[in-house]
Amino acid sequence: MSISIDQQLGGTTFQSADGTGVGIIVHDKADQELRTADMTLNVGPQHPATHGVLRVIVTLDGERIESAEPVIGYMHRSFEKLAEYRDYRQIIALVNRHDWVSSVCNELGVALLVEKQMGLEVPERATWIRMLMAEWTRILNHLMFVGSYPLELGAITPMFYAFREREEIQALMEWITGGRLHLTYCRVGGLKQDLPRGALDMSRSLVPRLRERIDEYETLVLGNEIFHARAKGVGVLPPGVACSYGASGPILQASGVAEDSRKTEPYCFYDQVEFDVPVGTNGDSYDRFAILLARMRESLKLIEQIHERIPAGPISVKLPKVVKAPEGTAYVRTENPLGQLSYYLVSHGEKTPWRLKMRTASFNNVSVLPYLLQGSMLSDMIAIMGSVFFIVGDIDR
Amino acid sequence: MDAAALTDHLVAELGDAVIPVVEHDLLTVTVAPGDWRRVAERLRTDPNLGCDYFEFLSGVDEEAEGLGVLLHVYSTGRRHHVQLRTIVPREGGSLPTVSDLWFGANWHERETAELFGIEFEGHPNPGKLLLPEEFVGYPLRKEFALLTREAKPWPGAKEPE
Repeated sequence: MSISIDQQLGGTTFQSADGTGVGIIVHDKADQELRTADMTLNVGPQHPATHGVLRVIVTLDGERIESAEPVIGYMHRSFEKLAEYRDYRQIIALVNRHDWVSSVCNELGVALLVEKQMGLEVPERATWIRMLMAEWTRILNHLMFVGSYPLELGAITPMFYAFREREEIQALMEWITGGRLHLTYCRVGGLKQDLPRGALDMSRSLVPRLRERIDEYETLVLGNEIFHARAKGVGVLPPGVACSYGASGPILQASGVAEDSRKTEPYCFYDQVEFDVPVGTNGDSYDRFAILLARMRESLKLIEQIHERIPAGPISVKLPKVVKAPEGTAYVRTENPLGQLSYYLVSHGEKTPWRLKMRTASFNNVSVLPYLLQGSMLSDMIAIMGSVFFIVGDIDR
Repeated sequence: MDAAALTDHLVAELGDAVIPVVEHDLLTVTVAPGDWRRVAERLRTDPNLGCDYFEFLSGVDEEAEGLGVLLHVYSTGRRHHVQLRTIVPREGGSLPTVSDLWFGANWHERETAELFGIEFEGHPNPGKLLLPEEFVGYPLRKEFALLTREAKPWPGAKEPE
């Protein structure tokens, strides 16, 4: 900002009413073409591309973004404090609310954490069913963004397609769990209830149908010229920077880092099934979107294998009336749809945790935004923001 | 490296400065606040450790002992986790920032600062992150009461506490 120079040249500066921006009125006509001043633009908190309430303060030099500062916390519900007042069974119902489109995956993390600290062995059937549900949740979550990202770029149709598919999977999940959004299906030591008769057949019949539809998306969106023009080479994130920010999931994989805790540090029975971790080459918005589709394909591959592996047997272990985790600390890391979710527990041997740290994927992924937006054009802002695939509840907790 | 090998390596390099504890195959090294920055730099730059991936930084209220601060990093190349832990006093506790070593620490330090009341010296952009600017108090400290529970007792048959 060069206020003093403008004043020397006979311009008048003025402050905007809220004190955040400075404008200049230049009186000399010749100067009018040369002088520019930084402009502060507020995006959000209410913006269709933010999936909740996220505000970004953007400083512009013409149409170029000089700096961008996300303002978060509008949905901060202090889950970490609340968890200190809830027992371990209640926490399962609490955590499926931070990332509201990945509920089973969140629950799974807490169940694994408490089981680890208690030294519980979960029946095999329960673990396989958990994996089945987690993979369907992953597809549900990715479908949400496969629909919404093109929407943010101006293509409305994929949203309708994605929600048509989501509805079919939702019907299956609803039948199995009785819930629609917050499924609360995992329990410490197992599951809420067994699969209803015929649920596996329905799950089996969904797989080939979805595979066809993913092909459809690929031609419809990835093959679209306008999509290429909007997303290719935009918002490039180098692998080293992504790791330093702790980015994960599709964002990290698009940058070429094959980090997926299902593969690198397998939990449940992910070491007994075949799947690949897709990686991108350019780390741009286009790659991040392509990774979503590739991850969905891998999940379908996993679901097919899981169908054949679910053994007969009990679905949970008998627990004492009061669940207490022994004194000590435990850490569990799982691959959530949006990236890496870690829970860190400090237990003093009571009914409630002493401290439960939730390291959510979106928090670290969104902290990359200032890096990605700096130096890019304002018109690319939504194309970059949308491709970071976040849920605001998962940022703010 | 597994937790045992990591412990041997860190103890050989840093000697008495670190107190290692292994729980569930996860190594946590406790250091004095004065060694925080030095050991963090070592985790980042030592080619044998190569902790390039930032997991999280947060606090734990240790009551009379003070406030615990925990830095969790991971090596994508070597696939091992290390946790660095220190304890700062409840009043006026401060630590040097590590946000230049791992960019991700920037937001995590701001969050820890506002929720626990710990200052991070040299932080490029201190200031509240999740809470409103005018908020008073440090919510994740134990003395900060959960207001809903103060105003109205738990409606369930059994108190989970």
